[in-house]
Amino acid sequence: MRRKKIPTWFVLIFPALVILAAVVLVPLLFSLYSSFTPYKLTRPDTLFKWIGTFNYQKAINSAVFWAAFGRTVLLLTIALNLEMLLGLGLALLVSRVTRGQRALRTLMMFPMMFSPILVGFQFKFIFNDNVGLVNNALQSLGLTNEAIPWLVDKNLAMFSIIFAEMWSSTSVFAILILAGLFAIPQDPLEAAKVDGCTPWQTFRHITLPFLMPFIYIALAIRSLDVARAYDIVQIMTNGGPARRTELLWTLIGRTGYVDAKMGYANAMGYISIVMAIFFTIFFFRKLNAARSELGMAG
Amino acid sequence: MALDLNFQHRVKARLISIAHTVTLFIAMSIICIPGLWIVLNSFRPTVDIMAKPPVWIPRDLNLDNYYAMFGGAGEGGVPVLQYFTNSLIISVTSTLIALLIGMAGGYAFARYRFKGKNAIFIGLLLTRAVPGVALSLPLFIVMAKTGLIDTHIGLIMVYVAMNVPFTIWLIDGFFRQIPPDLAEAAEIDGCTRWQAFWKVEFPVAKAGVASAGIFAFLTSWNEYALASQLTRSTFSKTMPVGLRDFTSEFTINWGGMCALAVLMIIPALVLTFLVQKHLIAGLTFGGVKG
Amino acid sequence: MASVQLNNVVKKYGALEVVHGINLDVAHNEFVVLVGPSGCGKSTTLRMIAGLEEISGGEISIGEQVVNDLPPRDRNISMVFQNYALYPHMTVRENLGFSLKIAGKEQAEIDRAVNEASTILALEDYMDRRPGALSGGQRQRVAMGRAIVRHPDVFLFDEPLSNLDAKLRAQMRVEIKKLHQKIKTTIIYVTHDQVEAMTLADRIVIMRDGFIEQQGTPSEVFEHPVNTFVATFIGSPPMNLLQGKVIADNQLAFAEGFTLPVPQEFVGAVKAGQDIVLGFRADNLMPENHALDLDEASPPIKMPIVVSEPLGTETLLYTRLAGGEIQAKMLKPRPVVDGEVLTFHLDLARCHLFDADTQKSLR
Repeated sequence: MRRKKIPTWFVLIFPALVILAAVVLVPLLFSLYSSFTPYKLTRPDTLFKWIGTFNYQKAINSAVFWAAFGRTVLLLTIALNLEMLLGLGLALLVSRVTRGQRALRTLMMFPMMFSPILVGFQFKFIFNDNVGLVNNALQSLGLTNEAIPWLVDKNLAMFSIIFAEMWSSTSVFAILILAGLFAIPQDPLEAAKVDGCTPWQTFRHITLPFLMPFIYIALAIRSLDVARAYDIVQIMTNGGPARRTELLWTLIGRTGYVDAKMGYANAMGYISIVMAIFFTIFFFRKLNAARSELGMAG
Repeated sequence: MALDLNFQHRVKARLISIAHTVTLFIAMSIICIPGLWIVLNSFRPTVDIMAKPPVWIPRDLNLDNYYAMFGGAGEGGVPVLQYFTNSLIISVTSTLIALLIGMAGGYAFARYRFKGKNAIFIGLLLTRAVPGVALSLPLFIVMAKTGLIDTHIGLIMVYVAMNVPFTIWLIDGFFRQIPPDLAEAAEIDGCTRWQAFWKVEFPVAKAGVASAGIFAFLTSWNEYALASQLTRSTFSKTMPVGLRDFTSEFTINWGGMCALAVLMIIPALVLTFLVQKHLIAGLTFGGVKG
Repeated sequence: MASVQLNNVVKKYGALEVVHGINLDVAHNEFVVLVGPSGCGKSTTLRMIAGLEEISGGEISIGEQVVNDLPPRDRNISMVFQNYALYPHMTVRENLGFSLKIAGKEQAEIDRAVNEASTILALEDYMDRRPGALSGGQRQRVAMGRAIVRHPDVFLFDEPLSNLDAKLRAQMRVEIKKLHQKIKTTIIYVTHDQVEAMTLADRIVIMRDGFIEQQGTPSEVFEHPVNTFVATFIGSPPMNLLQGKVIADNQLAFAEGFTLPVPQEFVGAVKAGQDIVLGFRADNLMPENHALDLDEASPPIKMPIVVSEPLGTETLLYTRLAGGEIQAKMLKPRPVVDGEVLTFHLDLARCHLFDADTQKSLR
């Protein structure tokens, strides 16, 4: 009586698998292959010449590549950590407010609505050495007479990029951590107060452990789209001037599209993919660990 | 003595309260001012924007930048209306498809047990971790070969794939919140599995599905890295790509860019406000309860 | 007419077998309660009858028809869930009428059935509220109302009262009993609460680890438990058990030199040298002068009171005997001081002897 048929769950997830295979997996396999060839867009026949790990060796031996790699890791580390700390601070600030808290929370979501490209453009405008808000303000206040080259100077440009990146993403942390703050059961907090904990001790030993899963969710979500930074950088400086703000992603884009060296660009692309996946898995593991510590593992 | 102690604590509490307000004010200013600056400048003529020394009190606010934008005859003649239509078609279509696929997938993950479930789930999410530019290179080649480059369909497919993992994650979380015995009760009440889903589980999860949809819409609406490579002409360029049209080799039309930015931000603003509550609930729930 | 038969029904999850071929016959209009500790397979059994779990082996029939592969909607059953499973997006009225609407019944007919059910369960005042605006007891009644609207052949209850507080639970128990009298239908009811089982059931089925341990009327399982598990599971407080040995002259020897005669009923059923477990209920161990009628009084037993629990109508006494903790009952309570030594009599006619190895009754 019982017919052997395809299980329902498979039918349900099949479309998802198909579209992802078509748009992500197949192109990625193709790019994996092409990273072992000297493929140039302008010369299609180069696709069939196997050169082994030449592109990878070239990348590993390239100072430009390592500079971009180092800058990318630096940017991610600084930005993610600062965003987390500032987000935590912002969430704590807002959680203390009693009147008008809803309005503040809404304001806090403001930067989340800006697409990265808009963020990039907005800060390109604001940090513009000639007509930008920052320089105008500094000059009007009489703090300086010069036009500070925010986007040209090597260190200032990195600072500007990190600032823009943080502006756009700190509120993601703040919102999620705030949700965590509201979910904390009151009993342990009150018990800690009665047991004589100082506010700092209460925060350190009760609030923070409880918030950790929320912080890791935020980190995991953020690391899923770290490459958003590409849009910002591309607009603000496009890796320039003279590669002073070159990140892996802008380097890949330039090598692939401008120089048309697809094989080489794909090889570098793979390195950045591995890096992104590493970050994501890292934070998901942390999330699971923090969850099981609180007995919330599912 | 006791009075002193109480007094000290009162002063301390007062100082903390003042510091709190000041810090909060500064933080909120940093969050709000950049956006407001853009909005303000979209109403100012280029002369004012470029003025040296800077003009702080707005002298002349007008809609010229917006007229120029929609007239298509402004500086550089950026066909904003066409970009807007492209963005709308691509975002709406890809969102609807991603929702259908995501709902099926999310439901499967929330309700069925099967081997390798966690592995498949993580695999799906990892596709989101692939940086857009790294994906855009092979996609560019594949799409160029299949003739999908510079078409609506090509970009729609890409956005569906981009949104499906996250949609599945969110929707899985929302369906998990619905106790499975609701559907079982419906089945005992005479529903088929299909009816039980559409008459009971879907209406209950509706708000969550809607917010997943809005999230997908915003991702497509705002996406740049892939669109900038996969679209070439006015026929398929979206607004984020169109923003670059205001930049020429040496000059930038700041006023026009600000106006287009405002146009892009308005739908995002409205939609985000509509779903903020569900969105936060969905994100934290999906993550915490796993 | 709907009887329910389970014939050697097995449930496996992969390699793990959780229900081991159980047989059960439920007669038409009978009220059967499946009871057991959590994880005993009672809910799984009920869900297999409902069609919510596939069965891995055996046969289930409802009203003479084998229903092994029928989906729930084709079994003409209804079910009340532990968490009620009310549809949160529908009003009470819509919840009640949902099954009839799905079946494509006409609106007039739906209204009639819904009104009838709401009258039976006194739900008239809440008909246009959503489940979220109802109290636990009201939700419980809506869940039952939703079940009776369809006039099913079989009612299934899955721990329906476990989310209610003690007072409400007692009240709903009576309502369920009344409901059964009003609408004569076969009912299969799952619970872990032996009080519910005792008060509601025509027949109790006691399950453990996927096996049926015993089935019978409430008084049968209370008075003649087949093993120590049933003996301690049914009845409150649980039956006292003492490890002992049969010695010469039909005497039972326990730790600390305590002895008792073998109860008359078991003389001949046991032989000297046999290891046994003696079981007796607190009700049958009474302090001197409080003994009402003892059919077969034991010699006096002196025991110190460790703790006493006055319950108003009776007092529960925790005492020590033969190295074990024993509970006794004082049916005409008077104040007791902890540490006081009282003299007790045990009613040997109400005692049980179990084999120490198999834990089975020696009756």
